Amino acid sequence: MMRDRVLYHLARADFLERVRRYSFLLTLAFAAGLAYLIFAGIISLQLGEYRGVYNSAWAGSMLTLVGTTYISLAGFYMVKNTIQRDQQTRVGLVLATTPMSKSLYTLGKALSNFAVLAAMVSVLAAAAVILELVRAEAGGLEPGKLLAPFVWVGLPAMAMTAAVAVLFETLPVLRGGAGNVIYFFAWTTYVGVSGLTGVNDYIGLGFFMRRMGDALKRIDPSYQGGFAFGHPNAQAAKTFLWNGVDWTPQVLLGRLQWVAIAIGIAWLSALFFHRFDPARERSRRKMEAPEPSEEQRAPATPIAEIHLTPLARTARSSQLPRLVAAELRLMLKGQRWWWYLVATGLFVASLAVPDTQARQALAAFAWLWPVLIWSQMGAREARYDTQKLVFSCAHALDRQLPAVWAAGVVVAISTGGGSGIRLLIAGDWPGFAAWLAGALFVPTFALALGVWSGSSRLFEALYTLWWYVGPMNHIPVLDFTGMASMRLGTPFYLLSTLALLTIAYVGRHGKLGYA
Amino acid sequence: MRLVIDKAGKLYHGRQGKVWALRNFSLELRPGVLGLLGPNGAGKTTLMNIVATITRATEGTITWNGADLQRDPDAVRAVLGYLPQDFGVYPNLNAVEFLEYFAAVKGLDAAAARRRIDELLPLVNLADVRKRPLGGYSGGMRQRIGIAQALLNDPQLLIVDEPTAGLDPEERVRFRNLLSDLSGDRIVILSTHIVSDVEATATDIALISGGTLVAHAPPEDLLRAAEGKVWEWVVPSVELSAAKQRYLISGTVRRADGVHVRLLAESAPAGAVPVAATLEDAYLHCLSTHRAHLAAEANAR
Repeated sequence: MMRDRVLYHLARADFLERVRRYSFLLTLAFAAGLAYLIFAGIISLQLGEYRGVYNSAWAGSMLTLVGTTYISLAGFYMVKNTIQRDQQTRVGLVLATTPMSKSLYTLGKALSNFAVLAAMVSVLAAAAVILELVRAEAGGLEPGKLLAPFVWVGLPAMAMTAAVAVLFETLPVLRGGAGNVIYFFAWTTYVGVSGLTGVNDYIGLGFFMRRMGDALKRIDPSYQGGFAFGHPNAQAAKTFLWNGVDWTPQVLLGRLQWVAIAIGIAWLSALFFHRFDPARERSRRKMEAPEPSEEQRAPATPIAEIHLTPLARTARSSQLPRLVAAELRLMLKGQRWWWYLVATGLFVASLAVPDTQARQALAAFAWLWPVLIWSQMGAREARYDTQKLVFSCAHALDRQLPAVWAAGVVVAISTGGGSGIRLLIAGDWPGFAAWLAGALFVPTFALALGVWSGSSRLFEALYTLWWYVGPMNHIPVLDFTGMASMRLGTPFYLLSTLALLTIAYVGRHGKLGYA
Repeated sequence: MRLVIDKAGKLYHGRQGKVWALRNFSLELRPGVLGLLGPNGAGKTTLMNIVATITRATEGTITWNGADLQRDPDAVRAVLGYLPQDFGVYPNLNAVEFLEYFAAVKGLDAAAARRRIDELLPLVNLADVRKRPLGGYSGGMRQRIGIAQALLNDPQLLIVDEPTAGLDPEERVRFRNLLSDLSGDRIVILSTHIVSDVEATATDIALISGGTLVAHAPPEDLLRAAEGKVWEWVVPSVELSAAKQRYLISGTVRRADGVHVRLLAESAPAGAVPVAATLEDAYLHCLSTHRAHLAAEANAR
């Protein structure tokens, strides 16, 4: 009983702390954005040339699938900071001295993650009701058929995502940026395998694919198994009636097994959890050394012997290039040699590789590689608690913020430069313009999200998703690398850059007491 | 050099409704060290955040050499050094890189910044760890890099909030001396709970309570007000609890003959002897007088 109470309060306090932050609204806005993309037909579900008739079962299943697929990726990045927050706020040090067990702590954190992700799924469930009411093509609203996919597929998927996020936070290797990259590739592989095999995966992709495919085959035996999920190349010509999943006890047990596995993962995470012991925190252990002892320390120079030269008024300048260089150094400081090696490799390869498809992929990867550098833009001051130091300096809005932006653009041009040079050499001016628009857009997107959310996670989540849907799946409008065959996006990205710059400026203006 | 705070107020909209953290606060400062004293939640940090242009006053004006900070915050930012109570550092940068970064943000040219950093690091006793990443610094070392950062631009207005928190006694004394040396030709606002820091450095003291200015005077004036009201009284241990309920006690020391109680009262308890007032006594006296005055006003209403 006592354990339940501790678990409840651990999860409750963490959840309340999150929902009372501005970034939580952005999290819900992301879910609302997904719903909008479905309403607008930008994201849809097609089986070959068929789509389901809009009824409660189809609306519920489609929105659940959109939710589980995209939230299991983007949502992971959004919630993977719950232990880190306790560390930063130093609440963890207090918790560590209580009788609370490590497993209870990791379970509580997973539960809080789950609550946040479930809130996003709830937004989609509400959207499904609206979709059904607006677009109903058959029958009336059937709440059971509409909501059952959210409950039996959506929530177990969120439980898994929540638990995996806690596991990643407890494992030193996966805690940082490397873990984010590893999760992305593990996720894409898992989604690919689920789509191919049609197994009862936690995301529900194979689960729905197999059942919808069986339903369609009963109407059209010639159906060969096409299952397009995402941006449709052409509108589906035919419709079929999907009456939803037959939720037998066996099916329900199959779904509940993911909840059990999620609990197991959260429990397992306790094995690796450092319980806020500074000696077990890998990054700190590597860097932190004790203050020099009395014997080691050189004797302090008496203050009377130190002369502080008065600073001449002329010593103050407002050289923007120097500030851009300082911001760039701050961005890149701490990157290891292999980061530069990979960046250089991608630069050279995207310049030299003759095959167009390979070059497209390399261009995309060249602008995925610096994601963790860009994601600090606009959020660094909040993350490292240097806001008061930076914002009390002169021209924090009209010099420091543009310097951060310019440094981000320098990173984009440097890392993606191979593709840009290649387009220049080929005399492909529309392509070069599209590439340049991308180089301006990506850091501006990072800056705007960083300033408004005060965190790097929102950009990491949304950008990774965008990168996956756009450059990787070659959807022309969403491809910001300039490598798409149709450069429809150039004006859009330039206008978006301007809009996002304004948004970043307004956001920072609001954070500065004066401005 | 003149900082004028005129009827400044700051209203916060919290979940429990509106709260004035600062109300009708006026103060005029000229070069010297102003010690800002007050209980927790008195409004000291709010006041400093307003003057440091971190947050905007809800009402009133603040002017620096005649320039209104609400309209032209950069007028003070260009000459401001600010050490907040809580601040972070970039863990991957070392001391030199961190200061170089802030020198660029503050608009110092490269040569002047280098010269200044070379002078500041020995001053804050970090010269021998200048190349170590700040992520590996102890709390006291971080505090010292914060002090160096505040002095980077040779500020005319230096605002330091609990600057000696986390410093060892030796470094604390060192910082006090530094502050005294610096105060000649600039305005220093020092907020702290450590009365001895104020005692050692302040040329003026502002006492804040409940968001209002209770007193603004040189330390000598505050001490004079408490003179003749501080007593030392020896009581048996068993009577200590009763004495605490009856008098405002500023300190106790247990000795063989009983507990030596230092207390503030208009008239001496039987057997008590008068002692010289310290700044801590003066602070407590001033606060208790202010609270008694507020209570009387409330009763009258």
